[in-house]
Amino acid sequence: MQGLQLFFDALWTLLSWQTLFNTAWAVLLGIIVGALPGLTATMGVALLTTLTYKMAPDQAILTLICMYVGAIYGGSRTAILLNIPGTPASAASTLDGYPLARAGRAGEAMGIATTSSAIGTLIGTLALAALAPLLATVALDFHSYEFFWLAVFGVIISGQLTATSHPLKGYIAGILGLLVAMVGMEGIHAHVRFTLGLRELNGGIGLIPAMVGAFGFAEVLNVMYLKRAEIVRNTVDRVVPRFADIWRYKITALRSGVIGTFIGIIPGVGEDIGAWASYAAARRASKTPEEFGKGSIDGLTAAETGDNAVVPGALIPTLTLAVPGSAPAAVLIAALFIHGVRPGPMIMIEQPMFVYSIVAMLCFATIGILVFGLALTRPLLYVLRIPRERLMPIVFVLCVIGPFALTQRMFDVWVMLFFGIAGFLLRRMDYPMAPLVLGIILGDLMVKNLRRGLILRDGDLSPFFVRPISLVFCLLVVATVLLSIGPVRNKAGALGRRIWSITQSSGTR
Amino acid sequence: MSNRRSARADLATGAVLFALSIAIVYSAWSMDRLEARGIHPLSAPGLLPGILGLALAFCSVLLIVQALRGLRTASFLPEHPGSSGGGLDEDNPGAGFRLVSAAAICLVYALGLIGRMPYWLATALFVTFFIAFFEWESGASLSRRAIRLAWAMSLGLATALAVSYAFRELFLVRLP
Repeated sequence: MQGLQLFFDALWTLLSWQTLFNTAWAVLLGIIVGALPGLTATMGVALLTTLTYKMAPDQAILTLICMYVGAIYGGSRTAILLNIPGTPASAASTLDGYPLARAGRAGEAMGIATTSSAIGTLIGTLALAALAPLLATVALDFHSYEFFWLAVFGVIISGQLTATSHPLKGYIAGILGLLVAMVGMEGIHAHVRFTLGLRELNGGIGLIPAMVGAFGFAEVLNVMYLKRAEIVRNTVDRVVPRFADIWRYKITALRSGVIGTFIGIIPGVGEDIGAWASYAAARRASKTPEEFGKGSIDGLTAAETGDNAVVPGALIPTLTLAVPGSAPAAVLIAALFIHGVRPGPMIMIEQPMFVYSIVAMLCFATIGILVFGLALTRPLLYVLRIPRERLMPIVFVLCVIGPFALTQRMFDVWVMLFFGIAGFLLRRMDYPMAPLVLGIILGDLMVKNLRRGLILRDGDLSPFFVRPISLVFCLLVVATVLLSIGPVRNKAGALGRRIWSITQSSGTR
Repeated sequence: MSNRRSARADLATGAVLFALSIAIVYSAWSMDRLEARGIHPLSAPGLLPGILGLALAFCSVLLIVQALRGLRTASFLPEHPGSSGGGLDEDNPGAGFRLVSAAAICLVYALGLIGRMPYWLATALFVTFFIAFFEWESGASLSRRAIRLAWAMSLGLATALAVSYAFRELFLVRLP
């Protein structure tokens, strides 16, 4: 009840013409960013962070949230019309969205994608309102040992789940991110490390320049490298879906919303995994799995609900543990600090209304994607026709001026360039970016808590392994690493199947 | 990427990462342990970087082993036409040229032009040149080329003025 009261208080405080105006342009900009191939949600949030730092904190965070939600939704346009995901989150939507467009049902596909995205965001938002206070309460029991393991778990699970070819590359990306976080003055004894004699590195490597490079400049290079995509020639049919069509796929939407939210809570995993997991679950549960990949509305509903539910889900650990659930959420953490909000377990004690303000902002963003998604179908088609040769130099101009504007140092522009080129090369070799980003964010948490824990117990390692929550995290880390090894995974699978068959046979007797 | 090319890239990356990890472990080991301040040895600043360096060394060795296995497997398979040239480049002609050109133009702007002339001029030159370079059609008529160039110049100027105005006047940023 108190939560509901806080939510209405937050909604009332936030409701103004300025809020509606900022919601409108930020959601629209987000949809355009998401729809344009090569511009991702992370890049959009990172670039917008540099543009909003002079705004009032609540309005700045509102615009970033709207950009995030809009961009994840906007990616579906490109997936349906160009057969390439506008953002990685929409990769699963290409499977059924594009065949629907080819069959002359592009409008229907865009309508279903819009309503499914809104439903996904709402399910995730409800979970955020319900779970964030609970998780914050549990996190109050976290000590240095638990936070150390949480950081390790975040990097490991992100490396495991986001690697496309082999988890080893995900782990390497995570370790590289953690090593980036080791550069500069450390937080306990103020000792300067790995600066190579460069004074500018004393304060460490800025997250925003690194993110703008890894997701902005790297994308500019990637887009120029890849083949030009051709938009499907199609007359847009009916866009607003019938209520009966939405109701028919209610179970798929609900299931995908729950899966997406859960995937969002797992540190650093992100929207694309949420969409794929929801899609796979929908296919398994479907009575007509053979239609998946050939223009199934069920499949499109699952993918779009799943990836959008990840957004609020990712904000749950972001707000309560200061551990991002996705790459854009990692940038949001940096933005929150810039605007004087300290995410972490104390948030429900220090700023209890803030979590509900985020819930209200997500509601505004959901309304925004519904309105723009259903009303601006044709104008958004023109956006997709902007040639990359005209768009990419403008994106790069923002990549240069954004990091510079934050600190007024050319050094941050060099950092952006370095991360852009390194990010492009790593991505070409199938190294995922999410664990790298998560490593940069979690490095400080990991190093401080490891050393603090060791100091508190005079070098005794046992609390890292015997405290209940620490032990759970430790076992999860070990299990995750072991299960990424092929033969171990196969043996564990065979053992699981054997135990299952024994249980089944004893149950039938 | 083809399997063989990917394995070669992994082998090279593994070697670079291994060298990097050795350098990190050495730096962490030789880092000041602040004994003079009487701190606990386990809170020394080089502790976690050293552990991460070792982890990276372990992972890079695994990557090298995997890459060597991949190369050995690939050598038993017949080389089909799409596998030697690098997959994507084959059905994406001019990709390498576009990539190198885009990277070069961007780097010249960020490292060469910015700070050496007024920001708006550097930005206008960059955007105009980028668009004109990639939209240039060698076989097109003179009038078509002139229209393209005019488009590029107007877009370049508009971007430069809009970004300069937004950052200097609205966000009160001193432009580079």
